[in-house]
Amino acid sequence: MNEKEYYIPDGTYWPIIGSIGISILLIGFANQMHGVSWGSSAMVLGFAITVFMLFGWLGQVVNESVNGQYNQQVDRSFRWGMSWFIFSEVMFFAAFFGALFYARMLSVPWLGGADNNIFTPDLWNGFSATWQQVAFTTPGTTLQSGTAISIPTKLVEATGLPALNTILLLLSGVTLTLAHHALRSDNRNQVIGWLVATITLGVAFLGFQVMEYGHAYADGLKLTSGIYGSTFYMLTGFHGFHVTLGVIMLTVILFRVQKGHFSANNHFAFEGVAWYWHFVDVVWLGLFVFVYWV
Amino acid sequence: MTTATASHDEHHHGPEKGLMRWVKTTNHKDIGTLYLWFAFAMLLIGGALAMGIRMELLQPGLQLMDPHFFNQLTTMHGLIMVFGAIMPAFVGLGNWLIPMMVGAPDMALPRMNNWSFWILPFAGGILLSTFFMEGGAPAFGWTFYAPLSTTFAPDSTDFFIFAVHLLGFSSIMGAINIIATVLNMRAPKMKLMDMPLFVWTWLITSFLLIGAMPVLAGAVTMMLTDRNFGTAFFDATGGGDPVMFQHIFWFFGHPEVYIMILPAFGVVSHIIPTFARKPLFGYSSMVYATASIAFLSYIVWAHHMFLTGMPVAGELYFMYATMLIAVPTGVKVFNWISTMWRGSMTFETPMLWAVSFVFLFTIGGFSGLMLGIAPADIQYHDTYFVVAHFHYVLVTGALWSIIAATFYWLPKWTGKMYNEGLAKVHFWWAVISVNVLFFPQHFLGLAGMPRRIPDYSLQFADFNMISSIGGFAFGASFILFTYIVIDCIRNGKPATARPWEGAKGLEWTLAPKAQYHSFNTPPSRELIKSESQHS
Amino acid sequence: MSSVIIIVIIVGILLALGSGLLGLMRGGPEGSEKMFRSLVVRVALSLFLFGILMLSGYMGWIEPNAVIMDATIAK
Ligand code: HEM
Ligand SMILES: [Cu+2]
Repeated sequence: MNEKEYYIPDGTYWPIIGSIGISILLIGFANQMHGVSWGSSAMVLGFAITVFMLFGWLGQVVNESVNGQYNQQVDRSFRWGMSWFIFSEVMFFAAFFGALFYARMLSVPWLGGADNNIFTPDLWNGFSATWQQVAFTTPGTTLQSGTAISIPTKLVEATGLPALNTILLLLSGVTLTLAHHALRSDNRNQVIGWLVATITLGVAFLGFQVMEYGHAYADGLKLTSGIYGSTFYMLTGFHGFHVTLGVIMLTVILFRVQKGHFSANNHFAFEGVAWYWHFVDVVWLGLFVFVYWV
Repeated sequence: MTTATASHDEHHHGPEKGLMRWVKTTNHKDIGTLYLWFAFAMLLIGGALAMGIRMELLQPGLQLMDPHFFNQLTTMHGLIMVFGAIMPAFVGLGNWLIPMMVGAPDMALPRMNNWSFWILPFAGGILLSTFFMEGGAPAFGWTFYAPLSTTFAPDSTDFFIFAVHLLGFSSIMGAINIIATVLNMRAPKMKLMDMPLFVWTWLITSFLLIGAMPVLAGAVTMMLTDRNFGTAFFDATGGGDPVMFQHIFWFFGHPEVYIMILPAFGVVSHIIPTFARKPLFGYSSMVYATASIAFLSYIVWAHHMFLTGMPVAGELYFMYATMLIAVPTGVKVFNWISTMWRGSMTFETPMLWAVSFVFLFTIGGFSGLMLGIAPADIQYHDTYFVVAHFHYVLVTGALWSIIAATFYWLPKWTGKMYNEGLAKVHFWWAVISVNVLFFPQHFLGLAGMPRRIPDYSLQFADFNMISSIGGFAFGASFILFTYIVIDCIRNGKPATARPWEGAKGLEWTLAPKAQYHSFNTPPSRELIKSESQHS
Repeated sequence: MSSVIIIVIIVGILLALGSGLLGLMRGGPEGSEKMFRSLVVRVALSLFLFGILMLSGYMGWIEPNAVIMDATIAK
């Protein structure tokens, strides 16, 4: 399309379909949590509509791009949009990392009587203000909500599965960078090879993550294991969710590479997804360091 | 614009026919209109709840409702006004005006623009539906502090949480769109420092939104899991901390209040130069002041928590940082006044709203400074003084600028003029009643009346009655406002392309009723310069 | 000491990642080049960080959370 013209899309039904899908999904979720029988069916329906919307909408965008309806200005708009969207994700993770640091450095020591000593150790029978303090609550202690606190016998060892997973993700960063390099020199077969490797590593990561959850759960480390369990599962859980999204997006990119959608100079979708993957990878590094190590 | 290169396929000149136009539209003007009507509907609903609150507070003693329902009213009033009325209204203004002001045909990501709007009715619907659920609507205040919102809240809270997720998602998409529009769709000959202030303030607001809304999403997500999945983020029994909720909430909350006022600053910076017939005084200092306010707004959040408990060093830091915000804010007020200095001023309706904005917002700013003094806040906190403060900045600040903008740009939106006489009556009615409504609340607060309480002791009776009467009068003023706007749309006299003699800005170079797609060819450097706020 | 080094490297990784984002935003051949280079740096730094973590864990300069906890349980 001519560089001097503006591109403005026609009207579209996808957004309203998306709104309906997401609303049904969330209303179903809320009802499911409240024990309403149709809750989970509504969730499935809402999810299906949302996925349908995503494929329809993005499919349309891909078609328009392949048909050459876009120009560099549109490309830049997509770049800005994607970049700031990922930045908003950074801030979302920041909230949970903030909670982790706050609990570790402030609230847990305070509960143990640090600083002004309002709280004394006698407040809780056998309470000890270490980061994984839940292990020391007297068995049978319940949260305010009435849920019993689950006391783990053992925590996940940093040097086991997590270290392996870190290696996998780091390698996937390397393979993805190689794919990017190959794409920039228009070597499609290599791109495909490295992308397949990246996706495989991502899937392996997810598999090991599930295994790790299994072990942790068996050792009694659950969402209900106090603040340690809460931050552990929420951070790794949201991260795993993002890896899943990343794997799906990389797969779509793989198909598009096979169809020859990208060229050395024109491959925004690839770069957007690639940066997303690197971001998710860095989040994991942060997790690995702060949840498992320091 | 006759030489316009058709933007693309030839059939794309005007709006579609029929109702589906509004569902499918990717046009920034259509979407802006949708946003503005949605915000207005929410303003009326939120206003109706406020009437209920003032009715209950008309006299001491429990009059009309049980305290639990009163709490639902205050909570939902705050949530609806913040997330349903003020924020969408500014996004609506941004949609309508930014493409015109930067010389673009439309927004950068028009389909996503449609989605950011069309999430809102669903989110608003979910939020409002909580009134009809067992246990009633959320009743823990718009700040939803844990554990009120976790351990002690009704089931409907989970719906509220999802509504907040959706609203946040919509705001983030809106902000991304505005950033992409300003930075990528701007006329190639327009430099950043040529941009009108409304564009500048919205650009900076977008960065606040993208930084703050995801944190809010994080906060409600933690609430969700604390409520339903046994996590202990805000529960000290499991090593968490309810105070942490407040930190996370206000890390979002204070930028949020500036999200609601920065675009207002932009609006006023357009109206005052127009009717003073002088260029804006200190254009670049306005830009830098806006940016520094935005930066500072991220590092002052705990001034809402002086009484929650904090190390003394924290109290001191947050006190001084808060005071610092008064400096750039003062720069702005100074610039508006200097713009008017020796101008040949006239007082058409938009100018009346803008001048009263400067005056009344400054009152709110000063009470904010008083609240920012940590030792003094021990007296003021959680009293009606805080209520008076934030209503002066939000009603006579944010809302005032939205009304001012409506009158100022209505001719451009509709191609017609509103009834100036009626509009002046409406202005005086509103400005007097709003002060009767909120000014006595300062005294109530200083005398110690707590906020969010349906009953009060007898010494507060007089001021409360005055305040309530002002409230009813202010509420009624919106009937007149509705009439004026609808009358303008249906029977208004045709407007000229530039209805205000001193108005500058690319939007005034368009047809009296701006065409469906604003600029199909970018404006020239000469045009941009002669319409900039420097000249 | 190890913690300080670790945190410094993490900051470096974040900077490289951010600079990659700037490249992504800019687009075009230069943007692509910038993004590619920054991401190479960030991958290299990450591998380095992982090495340091493993080394300091092995040498006992830092102790993983789980070890600390298991030790206390044993008490
Ligand atoms: C000069 C600038 C300002 C200063 C120094 C300031 C300071 C403060 C302080 C210290 C409080 C907490 C009072 C307490 O709870 O004890 C407060 C509350 C509040 N302020 Fe401001 N403020 C300023 C401007 C604004 C603006 C521009 C807005 C919005 C447009 C705003 C909206 C609010 C709101 C909504 C609350 C109440 C929050 C609640 O529900 O507790 N303020 N302000
Ligand atoms: Cu504040």
